[in-house]
Amino acid sequence: MSIDRTTAPSPGTPRPYRFPVVHRKKLDNGLRVLVAEMHNAPLVAIRGLICSGADRDTAELAGLASMTAELLDEGAGTRDAIRLAEDLGLLGASLASGSDWDASYVSADVLSRNFEPAMEIFADVLCRPALPDSALQRVRSERLMDLLQQREEPSAIAGKRFSNLLYGSGTYGNTVLGTPESVPRLKIDDVRRFYAQHYIANNAAIVIAGDIDAEQAVRQVTRLFSPWKSGPEPHRPRISPAPIDRSKIYLVDRPNAVQSEIRIGHIGVARNCDDYFPLTVMNALLGGVFNSRINLNLRERHGYTYGARSAFAFRRQAGPFVVSAPVRNEVTHHSLGEVLEELRRIRTGAVETRELEDTRSYLAGVFPATVQSASDIAGRLVDMEVFGLPHDYFDHYRENIAAVTAKDVTEVANKYIDPDRVLIVIVGNATQIREPLGGLGLPIHDLDVDGKIA
Amino acid sequence: MLSLVPYRLSNGLQVVLNEDHSAPLVAVNLWYHVGSKNERPGRTGFAHLFEHMLFSGSEHVGNNEHFRYVQSVGGVLNGSTFFDRTNYFETLPSQYLALGLWLESDRMGFFLPALTQEKLDIQREVVKEERRQHYDNVPYGTAFERLLNLAFDPDYSYHWPTIGSMEDLGTASLDDVRAFFSTWYRPDNCVLTVVGDFVAAEARRLVDDYFGDIAPAGQFPPFDLVRREARSERREVHPSRVPLPRIYRIYHLPRMGDRDWVAGDLLSTVLTSDKASRLERALVYEQQIANDVAAYVLPTEATGMLMLHATAKEGVEIERLEQAIDAELERLAGGRISADELTRAKNRAEVDHAHQLENYDARADFIGMLTTYFNDPERISTWMDPYRAATADDLLRVAQQSLVPENRVTSIFVPEGP
Repeated sequence: MSIDRTTAPSPGTPRPYRFPVVHRKKLDNGLRVLVAEMHNAPLVAIRGLICSGADRDTAELAGLASMTAELLDEGAGTRDAIRLAEDLGLLGASLASGSDWDASYVSADVLSRNFEPAMEIFADVLCRPALPDSALQRVRSERLMDLLQQREEPSAIAGKRFSNLLYGSGTYGNTVLGTPESVPRLKIDDVRRFYAQHYIANNAAIVIAGDIDAEQAVRQVTRLFSPWKSGPEPHRPRISPAPIDRSKIYLVDRPNAVQSEIRIGHIGVARNCDDYFPLTVMNALLGGVFNSRINLNLRERHGYTYGARSAFAFRRQAGPFVVSAPVRNEVTHHSLGEVLEELRRIRTGAVETRELEDTRSYLAGVFPATVQSASDIAGRLVDMEVFGLPHDYFDHYRENIAAVTAKDVTEVANKYIDPDRVLIVIVGNATQIREPLGGLGLPIHDLDVDGKIA
Repeated sequence: MLSLVPYRLSNGLQVVLNEDHSAPLVAVNLWYHVGSKNERPGRTGFAHLFEHMLFSGSEHVGNNEHFRYVQSVGGVLNGSTFFDRTNYFETLPSQYLALGLWLESDRMGFFLPALTQEKLDIQREVVKEERRQHYDNVPYGTAFERLLNLAFDPDYSYHWPTIGSMEDLGTASLDDVRAFFSTWYRPDNCVLTVVGDFVAAEARRLVDDYFGDIAPAGQFPPFDLVRREARSERREVHPSRVPLPRIYRIYHLPRMGDRDWVAGDLLSTVLTSDKASRLERALVYEQQIANDVAAYVLPTEATGMLMLHATAKEGVEIERLEQAIDAELERLAGGRISADELTRAKNRAEVDHAHQLENYDARADFIGMLTTYFNDPERISTWMDPYRAATADDLLRVAQQSLVPENRVTSIFVPEGP
């Protein structure tokens, strides 16, 4: 039998995808509960969400939110830290906690047959953590070591310098972990105060997805978390980005580096921006997926990099827009020139029908493949709560993407991308890359790894 | 219980179908039984470079079009290379099963006509950048490469990592690519696994249509591997640009799937997994001389390995950390493993396995592995049996036999002087 290999086969009949039914409840203390059943594996994903992340940190005590989150499993309820780990292990549960800019999280994946006892421990960790001083001392010292390690990691250096230049020492300007100066200042009283102010029922949500009976899970969560105290809405500091008057290069010298880590960008927008869907399509086309303009240019046309990408960091306040690429020394200036050219070209309106259609159908079609597991579903529900998305958000996601036009893409590119006012951070071998970079006609400022003018 | 349909086409292609309608998706996954272990010294990195080439188009699929076809219908895709195999995979909305099979069969059967020197030159540069990004330009980046150099003799195929050396990457020619393809990328050296929302009889017809007429190789170069006999520890101290000293080790183990490899897997969990695990508790939690410690086994076909690494805190001599690790390992081997410790390790293995089967793409990959390495897709239903059967004595035996100095190699990264 012979088949026609010369053209792609036509598709069969599409089968509908349905996001799992979400059972929602708001407890009297303000705690939001979201539960979704999924029975394709004997697993349950449990997520505790606190809507306070490193965005609540002050410059003085940067790292406090993530330190608080990290200490949650250092003993809770009647168990010390070792006992807690042992008992979770006996239930086939692994627990993790941490923060990003927008929120703090506790997560546990557990065998479904042990869901109920695991949930009891989970409630202890969120509502009755011991927060012992001895653990703070240890974790603080580990964190200082982590920060020390990052001083030799080119991508970490580039990311930090970029954020710091964009946001100064305020919100979004440090890392979630804090700085070598702020971390030693964190005291257990700060942690306990942060916990008391932010770990309150009306600032939190419990999300459960997996092989459980939803109504039973809601009942158990209600029983376990109803005693949790509520409190006044905690304060959220505002970002204070510095305006960029013209594009400039900041060069961090790493003698002997064989690659340059490049970051190019400026401030972006908040997650609740009205232009979210056109922006998402525009960015995917520009540098958000493998077949995007920037990656095809730098990687597939020129062989400059293993991968280049652009991203809008959608946070509760305006996160950065940044293009990132590690490239070899000799082509650093060429790569920079190509990226800047792509940032100009996306604004000209020359969007091809095919690339727009490909991008839209990718974004609209890929959703089911990204929510196969209980943990994926839990992650999507957590996002909805962090950003206050409407309950039917995922039901209308595809049509919102499909509605984006070429004109929309050009408009948001012009509105939100400004290639003449970008910060450029390059971490690399200054001896080899400085002179060719000069040919781009942009001012070059030297920085050391800590951001001091070198 | 998963229902598998395994069969073989007349050209030798092994096929495994697993129908599952819980999501409107289909995972198409191919394992070619070739990896960096089939390279020879002086030609390292070739299997992986070749993987890149296989995304650069075939007779009926243009350059970069493979990615475009998959992404533009909402699919996700990639490939990867390891010592023993190279895999290619895409997850697609289920109505696009034929598209996935068309793309994969085109590069299996019709790759050579689309090959050009320019494509090779570009991908060679991309792979060199991959090496720089992940190995040469980051702290500790070359640790695994250095360990392999110590653990295996130079003519032994696990002596080098899949990324290969810069020098060898530079010499790969178009003729090498052609020869490599013709030798290895044949239906009788491949397992095709399809998992998801399709009707088996229909999928079977499509697989026949797209793959049935691709010519087999019939035979493949033999692979003779003689395991290095462990006699004494090989070790090195490597000054480099790192902020903190870190110790890396490989302990030799039997091949993946063997009873003692399974015991080694459970043992690695007893050693490092959470605060209650032996090494984490002793070094990180109690003595506070390590910033991190991790132990895990590698999924390798020819012979097994248990990796262990630990970072010393600032001001802690690496010798002291190493002594503390060895003291814990000796204490473990000379003592007992409690019933609770064993249960916790087994639970973790059970959760990991459940995750492996949860997503279509991970499940297809696991089935491809079982079929490629063990010629037994049905092993998916018994894979956990040796884990469940393992006893504390099994773990102790492996600790006593394998976690000993003469069975290991050690590479210690220390900060270089100013």
